[in-house]
Amino acid sequence: MVGLPYDCLANPHGVVRLTFEKAISSGLDPSTSDGKDWGALDLFRQFLYCNDGLSQVPVLNARNVKYIQQNTLVRFRGLIQDMLGNEFYIGAYKDGCTWRTNKFMDASPFQMDLSPDMRLWERRLIYCVPVPGINFWTQSSEHMADQCNTLASEHREKRQRDNDGAVDSMELVPDLEFLGSPSAKKLQDTIIKGNSPSISSEGNYFPCLVKMYDFVDSDLKLNEVVEFVGVLSFDPELPMEKVDSDAFSNGLSEDELVQLPSCKVPRIHCLVHRKLGVHDFLPSGPMSEPNTLLIRGIREGMLGHLTALLGEDGVAAQFLMLHLLSGVHARVDTLAVGKLSLNLTCFTKEHASVFGSRLNLAVKNLLPFTQYIPLTIEYLNNTSLAPKKDYQTNRLVSGVLQLAEGSHLIFDETQLQAGTLDSVGLHNAMLLENLIQFQKVEYDFQYYKMEMTADVQLLVLSEGKSNILLADLVLPFEPSSSGSLETVDVETLQAWRWYLLTLRSLPHSISPEMQKIVEDDLVAARQADRSLGTVDFSRLLTMGRLMSLSFGETSLSLRHWQLVKELERLRKERLK
Amino acid sequence: MQSTKDLNFDHDKALAKDFLVNFADIHGDLKYMNILQEVANRKTRAVEIDLADLFSYKDSDDEFLRRVTENTKRYIGIFAEAIDEVKPEPTEVFPDDDQDILMTQRSENGVENTDGSDPLQQMPPEIKRFYEVYIRASSKERPFTIREVKASYIGQLVRISGILTRCSDVKPLMKVAVYTCEDCGFEIYQEVTARVFMPLFQCPSKRCETNKSKGNLILQLRASKFLKFQEAKIQELAEHVPKGHIPRTMTVHFRGELTRKVAPGDVVELSGIFLPIPYTGFRALRAGLVADTYLEAMSVTHFKRKYEEYELRGDEEVQIARLAEDGDIYNKLAKSLAPEIYGHEDVKKALLLLLVGAPHRKLKDGMQIRGDIHICLMGDPGVAKSQLLKHIIIVAPRGVYTTGRGSSGVGLTAAVQKDPVTNEMVLEGGALVLADMGICAIDEFDKMDESDRTAIHEVMEQQTVSIAKAGITTSLNARTAILAAANPAWGRYDLRRTPAENINLPPALLSRFDLLWLILDRADMDSDLEMARHVVYVHQNMESPALGFTPLEPSILRAYIAAAKKMSPCVPRELEEYIASAYSSLRQEEARSDTPHSYTTVRTLLSILRISAALARLRFSDIVAQSDVDEALRMMQMSKFSLYSEDRQRSGLDAISDIYSILRDEAARTNRMDISYAHALNWISRKGYSEAQLKECLEEYAALNVWQIHPNSFDIRFIDA
Repeated sequence: MVGLPYDCLANPHGVVRLTFEKAISSGLDPSTSDGKDWGALDLFRQFLYCNDGLSQVPVLNARNVKYIQQNTLVRFRGLIQDMLGNEFYIGAYKDGCTWRTNKFMDASPFQMDLSPDMRLWERRLIYCVPVPGINFWTQSSEHMADQCNTLASEHREKRQRDNDGAVDSMELVPDLEFLGSPSAKKLQDTIIKGNSPSISSEGNYFPCLVKMYDFVDSDLKLNEVVEFVGVLSFDPELPMEKVDSDAFSNGLSEDELVQLPSCKVPRIHCLVHRKLGVHDFLPSGPMSEPNTLLIRGIREGMLGHLTALLGEDGVAAQFLMLHLLSGVHARVDTLAVGKLSLNLTCFTKEHASVFGSRLNLAVKNLLPFTQYIPLTIEYLNNTSLAPKKDYQTNRLVSGVLQLAEGSHLIFDETQLQAGTLDSVGLHNAMLLENLIQFQKVEYDFQYYKMEMTADVQLLVLSEGKSNILLADLVLPFEPSSSGSLETVDVETLQAWRWYLLTLRSLPHSISPEMQKIVEDDLVAARQADRSLGTVDFSRLLTMGRLMSLSFGETSLSLRHWQLVKELERLRKERLK
Repeated sequence: MQSTKDLNFDHDKALAKDFLVNFADIHGDLKYMNILQEVANRKTRAVEIDLADLFSYKDSDDEFLRRVTENTKRYIGIFAEAIDEVKPEPTEVFPDDDQDILMTQRSENGVENTDGSDPLQQMPPEIKRFYEVYIRASSKERPFTIREVKASYIGQLVRISGILTRCSDVKPLMKVAVYTCEDCGFEIYQEVTARVFMPLFQCPSKRCETNKSKGNLILQLRASKFLKFQEAKIQELAEHVPKGHIPRTMTVHFRGELTRKVAPGDVVELSGIFLPIPYTGFRALRAGLVADTYLEAMSVTHFKRKYEEYELRGDEEVQIARLAEDGDIYNKLAKSLAPEIYGHEDVKKALLLLLVGAPHRKLKDGMQIRGDIHICLMGDPGVAKSQLLKHIIIVAPRGVYTTGRGSSGVGLTAAVQKDPVTNEMVLEGGALVLADMGICAIDEFDKMDESDRTAIHEVMEQQTVSIAKAGITTSLNARTAILAAANPAWGRYDLRRTPAENINLPPALLSRFDLLWLILDRADMDSDLEMARHVVYVHQNMESPALGFTPLEPSILRAYIAAAKKMSPCVPRELEEYIASAYSSLRQEEARSDTPHSYTTVRTLLSILRISAALARLRFSDIVAQSDVDEALRMMQMSKFSLYSEDRQRSGLDAISDIYSILRDEAARTNRMDISYAHALNWISRKGYSEAQLKECLEEYAALNVWQIHPNSFDIRFIDA
């Protein structure tokens, strides 16, 4: 840190203050600037990206949040679960005759008097949660954890000792007694039951309220996965106060301070943010210049593993690999181009216990965000799949289907029994049908519904063809053995992850000659079988694309097209 | 500094006075003086100052207007002061209420009771006012969406639109607190400007101060002035939310006369002042530097969503006029319906006519002739019928999409249900009643409940739903155009059978549809290639192939249809003969043919008239032209063509369906479910068919699951015939 007169990491506010004073002295007028950046962000960007500061910034998680010093720089990776709208804050004020700023902080270090020279600025609140279904291997960057440990160690001991009592009582007493009014109680209830913004000990639920400055309104969208770098503000010692305002507010008070007390939900005053895709979750950097040969090698290896995994069912393994590579890459009218959901049928109960868990484990190891959902009547009737707006708390209550792009879902229908669906179950079944057909989820805003696009890979395991989840591909599963699996070493696994997450974003094209062949093949197929429609055509083309991607190629070749046709033929044969 | 500011406000007060006294609307009436007279006579409480009036006022001062918009809260006070000064005397007598008696007492005591210039003892003007001042934003520009209201709008008058999600109860809000002192007996006034105030406990009057008596103050609730107060939450409308975002909300405060005007679920346009409330006390400590904001409502307008009430926006009128001049508007509009669905031009034309409809006619003798055009689409699964239906519902301002099976217990028509709370029988309207004055799209028409099917006869001709259940006998209006979609009886359309057999609907119901359309999935090379090309194109370019034209925006389409619906075309005398002869030739044709495919009845004649009128409406014409009638006849012909043009005479095929009907009729006659093979052979050979043909027939219909064939004896068993 030679040459920097300030410490971006430990004292970001100092940097902000310094640059603000500098900007004032060079003629910035806070009363008209409206809170626009005055050059502080450039310094941070330079520190993070040019001076390799990013790796020094600790990644905030449930385990280390208590030890990281307040008002230092942290990183947080999360899914945008809810957008709480804008917050107005006193951005600049006059302390005597010097201007001071409150940007990037929750409380002012100086006493403020009410004066006409106060400027209200605006910041945007985003509620983030860890990506649903995130797998352990994505966070296994050991050195990062060490980094933050050493960084925090100096404060840790002292704080730990001081806080032990306070923290414990915090977690044990959810302050229900304090909250006199019924509405506040309700709020508390939702906090505890619903997507509660409390830090669970397992660390898999760790929400964070991000305050964005200098944003472009359309920049961030719901359900995007973003890495925020900003100033942490988290005070587990601040007790929850009694809500005194409810007598006046008629229970309409829904200020996020009550619901998301800063002692439970850390705030991050975001300086820099970056959107993340699935490939950003690969622990190591990209492999060195992969060539086609290498890709083929990886392909063969993984296909072999998948075949063994599926009891030597090679066809199923091929389809599974295409499925794992799929993803929505365009939307044309109502059609989601590129999705390829797979339904493996003939999954008896015995199969499910062996292969179901094997599949689940394999997918978990290969993809960053995965979930395994056993579909039962009770599940359909009792789960809220779609996110729903709760107007009592003015929050979007998350549902199972609020997922990050590129998530993978396994629906295990083998446990489904005959039973009656109630209206909730029926609605949920409809939601699942919409998701698998259009890759869209309807969010319930009570007075109207809003369709949100999704990009989720769906794998359905069922005994007969699933009628709730009408997958693109239905394939009867035919295992011939259920031998034990070889263990895969970490490096191979890394290569496979890299393969699946990187290749899916390769460009793809079809040459005019190939186009002609494909068209003729499709017409011939339809002449032979009238039941084929646009959906089937679309599926074949998607498979063609994925097939050439799986070889690391960017344009469809005749050989790959024939492979696809052959696969389809084998599938049709099994369906008979 | 302070004094110049005050001076400005005095100047502005003079401007406000001048405006109130002299503003005359287009009729020359002194609008505001009339309102003030009403106020003086206690007829009304609200004085709404429209900024549009201020804008159009002859002596208007742009600077003054800007000041009013940007510092509205202050100017409400200025206008109130101005009103105090120019308010006329009441011209009518009205009974004194408590407040008046109090006021009289106060003014009598006034002189002796005040001692000097203590501001707390001077009666604030607020307590004397019997009116409330609202400043309404001009409705010229487009209202803001909630996310467009930024920090820079604080303190300003803004107009927003949205949907109300929550409303609090109406509660009193103290405006002026009045106390009496136990010692000196003076009335002490305290004006309340915020929602929270600190009550006074010690008498501040000079007398108490000099006496050092620390007079105890008692709050006089009856003498204090209260205002009705309601808090609500407004949320952005779905169409204003950018993709991938979620709707924003805003708090709205309603005061006085504006309370109780809204309920959750209302779509409203509000004008109001965007104001901050800094947190006070303990909350400020917690909140740190944050300020809450709210909108103090100044006016409320409810949105309307019917064609009749559709108000054209400025640019829409111009666009429609331009479209109307375009000769090809009929085709253009039709193509713009569901542009993503390829082809089906005539079907889309028919749907356009359904949207436009014909005027309702009410004859002198009380008979009503419907103007709504009913259409039935049938065809193979997967030919985008449902998509067409859903698209029409989106374009129509009032449309209900439902399936024949009905999603709720209410079904399609109406139901009498017992209210679980009050135990009263209540009438609940079904889809058809909800779609009154709109369009009801019924998918899976063939799978409709028997009870709904009988009711739909009435809906389609009389346009009412009659209920006689549980002591409730009533008739509900269901003036709706029905757009039905039906699947063929055997999954796929069997070309060898008649439509009636294929759709499984009684002719009485079918005859009520003005147009009956068959959308078939034909097995021809060209359309298959077209389809393959389309799919390949989509995958290649990640977009739909260019349509060759730019479809009109749904909003423009809606506006055009709304404008067209205002026309009420009639048939001129010289065309009557033409229509009559066209109708009679249709009847003749039908009589000549041995196998009539349809029944040309008076209903057909009415259909021709309706379709012609709808076509005339699209041209914005009051008179039906011969070209309209010709197009109407063409549409009817095309719709029939789609049903019957299929090659029914293909050799071999017809024989098989004939055999089937022979067998079925025999089975029905003998009332048995199974027929032995020998019997069947007997019957069909009487009609001159061979055994080979019989076997072919047995196989084909067995594949359709119509009957089962015994594998050895070939005996036939009907499935659920």
